[in-house]
Amino acid sequence: MGKKVQEITYVDSKGKRLDGRKVDELRPIKIKVGVIPRADGSAYLEWGQNKVYASVHGPRECLPKHTANPYKAVVKFNYRMASFSVPDRKNPKPGRREIEISKVSGEALERAIFLEKFPNTQIDVNVEIVDSNAGSRIAALTAASVACADAGLPMRDMVCGTGVGRAGGKIIVDLTKDEEDAPDAVDIPIAILPNSKEIVLLQLDGVMPKKEWEKAYEMAVDASMKVYEVQKQALKDKYLNGDDKK
Amino acid sequence: MTKRIVIPGELVTEERKKLGSHVFVSEGKIYSDSMGLVNDEADFASVVPLEGKYMPEQGDLIIGVIGDEKFSVYMVDVNSFYQTAISKKELREMLKPGAVISAKVSRVNELNEVDLENPRAFFGGEIIELSPVKIPRFIGREASMLNLIKDWTKSNIVVGRNGRIWAKGGDTDLLKKAVKKIDKEAHMENLTNRMEEFLEKNAPKNGVKKEVMEEDMEEGEN
Repeated sequence: MGKKVQEITYVDSKGKRLDGRKVDELRPIKIKVGVIPRADGSAYLEWGQNKVYASVHGPRECLPKHTANPYKAVVKFNYRMASFSVPDRKNPKPGRREIEISKVSGEALERAIFLEKFPNTQIDVNVEIVDSNAGSRIAALTAASVACADAGLPMRDMVCGTGVGRAGGKIIVDLTKDEEDAPDAVDIPIAILPNSKEIVLLQLDGVMPKKEWEKAYEMAVDASMKVYEVQKQALKDKYLNGDDKK
Repeated sequence: MTKRIVIPGELVTEERKKLGSHVFVSEGKIYSDSMGLVNDEADFASVVPLEGKYMPEQGDLIIGVIGDEKFSVYMVDVNSFYQTAISKKELREMLKPGAVISAKVSRVNELNEVDLENPRAFFGGEIIELSPVKIPRFIGREASMLNLIKDWTKSNIVVGRNGRIWAKGGDTDLLKKAVKKIDKEAHMENLTNRMEEFLEKNAPKNGVKKEVMEEDMEEGEN
């Protein structure tokens, strides 16, 4: 419609992006474990501008009873965005997007937890997005997995992940909102189990050639392992901090 | 004997060891399935969990709270996944909601539902909660910790495996502090020795109760 205002260079000649990161660099991540005392497990995560609270209750009696599975526990994942988490006020009613993210994230977590140890029960995972700037579903899943570990649920592995995609013709990791708005942008949230590198969540907006995807996948796995190290450190810090006093 | 903290999915050992609790095998290696402590020198590859819910087992002594009353049974909250029922015939007393009982788990089925036997009603006293996975630390090796705490607090204590401690009489404030300390420091070593120091420092002494308490408070701050 209007004239093109200005071409944005998403990756400059020095390999720096709009916010000064390298192509394979993540935004700074900070995780705090055990922030909600009444929950069985909880975590607070800051990932760039994203701010996320995750809490886990259960396993507990599955209600309503027709949703129970007598062979394994049911994960009830709730991804919710606060109305002030986006620039324009968001209607607090859960929309299509939130219901979808709850479903896929819950299924990703299900793969990590030994559900068959708790037949007929439900595990409530509630994630509240307080502030967001692209990549909030992965931030939610990362925080939720830390909260599950804090709740003492038996797990095969943690769940870690990152966003990966293309902006301005370059494959980059952990896109921000500005990069997601690029004319040729492709955004792929991806979550893996770090030990087996098994993919538990993968979504894609846009079109991407196979070659680019192969490169993007490798970068995503490397970046996810960095996220895993942060998760690991956060969980251990909860106990190791006590040692310093003594 | 140093122990290290592991998170779910972290490697416990690559050696072939006997499998203990809270571990699983994947491609010949042994991994932890929860947050916990690993002793690398032990014969068994096992993880002592630091978090978790109460998983009922046959023979456990548990402390329950009466919730509802039906025609011939009381519904009891046992801090597990579901409530369980005990027959009114088994108890001589009439109980009201909120009453405390202890009972033995006679049977656990595949859905982790619990049957109880030998219920015994308690009157008065109070319940102190502690994470069920830390109850073994509260009891200690050959009940060393429990005896130590009993000596200092002079309370009547009944420990339920489901994360509830019933206590009556004696210095329950001191007991609560001790439980809090165990909750905070369950992952650290020599807990019994440190608890002895802690109790010595915090226990009000006969006669000069108040002054000692105040002094100790100040020392504790530093």
